[in-house]
Amino acid sequence: MANYYDIDDVLAEQEFLPVLFQQGAEGVGLFDSGDDANEVEAGAKVELPFCLARDLHVRGVVAIDVPPYFRKVSRTRKEIEADAAHVDLRSRCQYFYELGLKIAPLAGDKSIGPFLLVAFQTRYKEVLVKAHTAASAVASKHLTLLTNEEVKLCEAGQSSTAAFKK
Amino acid sequence: MYGKKGSELVKELASSEPGQLSAFNNDLFAQVIDECTGHLHHLGSLIRKIEELKKIEEIKKLNNQELEESEKQLLKAHNSGALIHHLSLLRNKRCLMAYVYNRAETIRSLGWAVERVLPEEIEEKLSGSEKEYFKNHAASLQSYMSELDLDLAVDMVPPKDPYIKVRVLEDIGNVLLSDQSANLARHAILFLRRTDAEQYISQAIFTLMLW
Repeated sequence: MANYYDIDDVLAEQEFLPVLFQQGAEGVGLFDSGDDANEVEAGAKVELPFCLARDLHVRGVVAIDVPPYFRKVSRTRKEIEADAAHVDLRSRCQYFYELGLKIAPLAGDKSIGPFLLVAFQTRYKEVLVKAHTAASAVASKHLTLLTNEEVKLCEAGQSSTAAFKK
Repeated sequence: MYGKKGSELVKELASSEPGQLSAFNNDLFAQVIDECTGHLHHLGSLIRKIEELKKIEEIKKLNNQELEESEKQLLKAHNSGALIHHLSLLRNKRCLMAYVYNRAETIRSLGWAVERVLPEEIEEKLSGSEKEYFKNHAASLQSYMSELDLDLAVDMVPPKDPYIKVRVLEDIGNVLLSDQSANLARHAILFLRRTDAEQYISQAIFTLMLW
């Protein structure tokens, strides 16, 4: 398990997931601020942050649905299959891999793991190539496509290039 | 929304430059704690309701009866409601702890960079207990160093020249340094031993001049 105090881990668990309530829940009115009802009924579809959704899922209160970008048939998947390196993952989820890793064991869809691996492998190569060679102007445009983890990789690559040149 | 404020707090940390402190967000911090109190309140009332239902269940068991379907449903709903509040509490706690912990880490590293006295612009960003923490941390560092009789905070890379040129930014007056007595008047340019000048530079009284 990641460090309890790790900022990235805390933020990754804040990403919202669509969930389906299997049982009603009493005394939690704040989910839909639209109406005044102080409960959530069984069958309600709500967006919950992952940290809540995980434990509720384990205890059978809700069923997790994966976010759109992890679905089996989705634009993101098609784009990754076509040209993974140039897909804008940052706008979809800044913690794409971290969240994916956490969701994979919970969701019924077994293809998430391999999908993440493929995406990471192809993008990793591109990130390293860019980090070692590209001038900062080109790199900054490329950075806007990367998730947080990839940005860190990219910076690590750049600093190692700088250290090597010294 | 449950746990949202807490994550805003952490996000603030994430967006600041590593190694730098932003002002302690008292306002948001207090709001998160308020939210926690609210959750606790809800949790307490739900737990009481659950206990009531359990009592009814026990009484019915003695009479060889079971809870009615609607009561069972209600018990479950109360349970999951309590669970949600409980999880939100844990979540908020984690956010608060992460916020304080990561700031404390930065403050500790400051203890190595500046000695004892914090520059004003940093000090005003700290909360009361953080100031206390820094003071105690710096004091224990100092006492450790004096025990070892070794200044551990100096640069790891040895200087090329033991003397450096500095410009004085504040009037201090005559000061006895290790090899000379210098008059630290404003705008004076001095040629001092590096070890003497360092403590003044870290307090922003001197500025280093390039050759």
